[in-house]
Amino acid sequence: MEIIQAILIVALAFWMVLDQQGFVITTWFPSIIGMIAGLIMGDVATAMVIAGTFQLMALGVANIGGSSVPNYGLATLVGIYVAIRTTHDIENAKAIALAVGVPVGMLGIQLDVLGKILNSYVSHAAQKALNEGKFGKMNRIFWIGPLIFGLTTAVPTLLCVIFGDKIVRVLLDVVPKWFTDGLSIAGSMLPVVGIALLLQFMPVKKYLTMLLIGFVISAYLGLPILGIAILGFAFAYYYFTQKMSSTPAATAAGSGNTSVEGDEFDE
Amino acid sequence: MSNTEPATNQVTKRDIRSAAIRYMFMACNTFNYENQQAPAVVFGLNKVLRKIYKNDEDYKASLNNHFNYFNTTTWMANLLLGASVAMEQKDGIQSKEAVQAFKTGMMGPLAGVGDTLVWVLYPTIMGSIAGYMGLQGNPTGAIIWLLLNIVFFFFRIKLFDVGHTSGLKLITALGDRLNVFTEAASIMGLTVVGALIPAVVKMNVQLKYQAGEVTLPIQTEILDKIMPAMLPAVLTVVVYKLIGSKKLSLTNIIFLIIALALVCSYFGILGV
Repeated sequence: MEIIQAILIVALAFWMVLDQQGFVITTWFPSIIGMIAGLIMGDVATAMVIAGTFQLMALGVANIGGSSVPNYGLATLVGIYVAIRTTHDIENAKAIALAVGVPVGMLGIQLDVLGKILNSYVSHAAQKALNEGKFGKMNRIFWIGPLIFGLTTAVPTLLCVIFGDKIVRVLLDVVPKWFTDGLSIAGSMLPVVGIALLLQFMPVKKYLTMLLIGFVISAYLGLPILGIAILGFAFAYYYFTQKMSSTPAATAAGSGNTSVEGDEFDE
Repeated sequence: MSNTEPATNQVTKRDIRSAAIRYMFMACNTFNYENQQAPAVVFGLNKVLRKIYKNDEDYKASLNNHFNYFNTTTWMANLLLGASVAMEQKDGIQSKEAVQAFKTGMMGPLAGVGDTLVWVLYPTIMGSIAGYMGLQGNPTGAIIWLLLNIVFFFFRIKLFDVGHTSGLKLITALGDRLNVFTEAASIMGLTVVGALIPAVVKMNVQLKYQAGEVTLPIQTEILDKIMPAMLPAVLTVVVYKLIGSKKLSLTNIIFLIIALALVCSYFGILGV
């Protein structure tokens, strides 16, 4: 059973990167990958707590334009595997996942860069085959690309699967409590990096009011995120319909929207 | 388009769908620093282009053209590539320059809108909800996200088809409307981000103020009275400025926060 879980986790690591860069269905977003990993490991609840922590760290960390970013999916996957293997206490699991996951996720950046460098050769080889008229060969060469990227995540995961829980067990016996507590505290502070990074990409100055409204409703009233998201949608929808009806070119869209608006008032 | 269809080529709906799926699979999986997504474009289009170019030399010329630098949001690329296929279907190898100009001209603007929508706003809104639910051990948010991705998958296949049938016309017409949509999505995104700060960033001061008989827990009796989630808000501003100043790399900021947490834990300043 443990062997099967290990194989599935490594396979998931291989697929994760291909999907993120291609189909974007399972992706390497921590929430989704964490849920699948949780199913494999048979403990969805613990997996989701770890995945949630990493997800919030990963907010705003987008690999725009092919830039390399910390691989939080890899961090999540490895963290969940090692944490569930070694402990069943949630706070402990979070600290372990962070201790193992963050370094592996950072290593992921280096391997991602390496993969992108190696893929230059794949591109050259494919173009060479094309110009020699070997079209079938060209098609086969392209498959080296996904193979390289799959290995960039599968290899670190395999190493963690083989050695990770042993190392963590030794560490847990030696390491003092303030240290694991410190890692847990870091886990609750680190989402700030994702949030702050995200804000760099967003029109903060222009829509500072929205940021403040969200903050106040959450901090003072304690409304859950989903409720605030719906409120945010209401603001966005209002803005959208106002803008659309004020631009004459888009009258067709404007009339279409008012009928939708009418439906919502009925509810 | 229908009058040229039967005579010059036999590109079917099926070929278009297959090209879309081939490109979508490869997208960034052959990404490199030289021509970026170009190998994926060639991989995606080579089957359908072979149907258009029976002559080996034309086929090579067309694919060599697609080996030129290409990079845009992969979801949006479907529109461009669909339109490119339509152009090559219509004018054959004479369209080479036009295809190249069209792709280079459109990939920038589409990436601007696309990256914001696809890689920033969508994962932010879904990630906030799914991540927040996840912290309570609840997978519902993640399941909804996964299902939405599946819906978008089919939508993107459709985008390729839309690009193929209405191509150039559509992209220029959508232009300014997409901007309004992006702005509206930013409004929603910022509201959610504002709410996230107190909801997910947690800092608990353990210290107590001692004056004779009176002990005053700093966190609940002082900080929370001034403003709830004050420390997380301050931390957000500090980290936001740090990232903006570009003096420290992201990795260094992460390690700095871990170090700060460890130090505060050692001296009992912050607690779990």
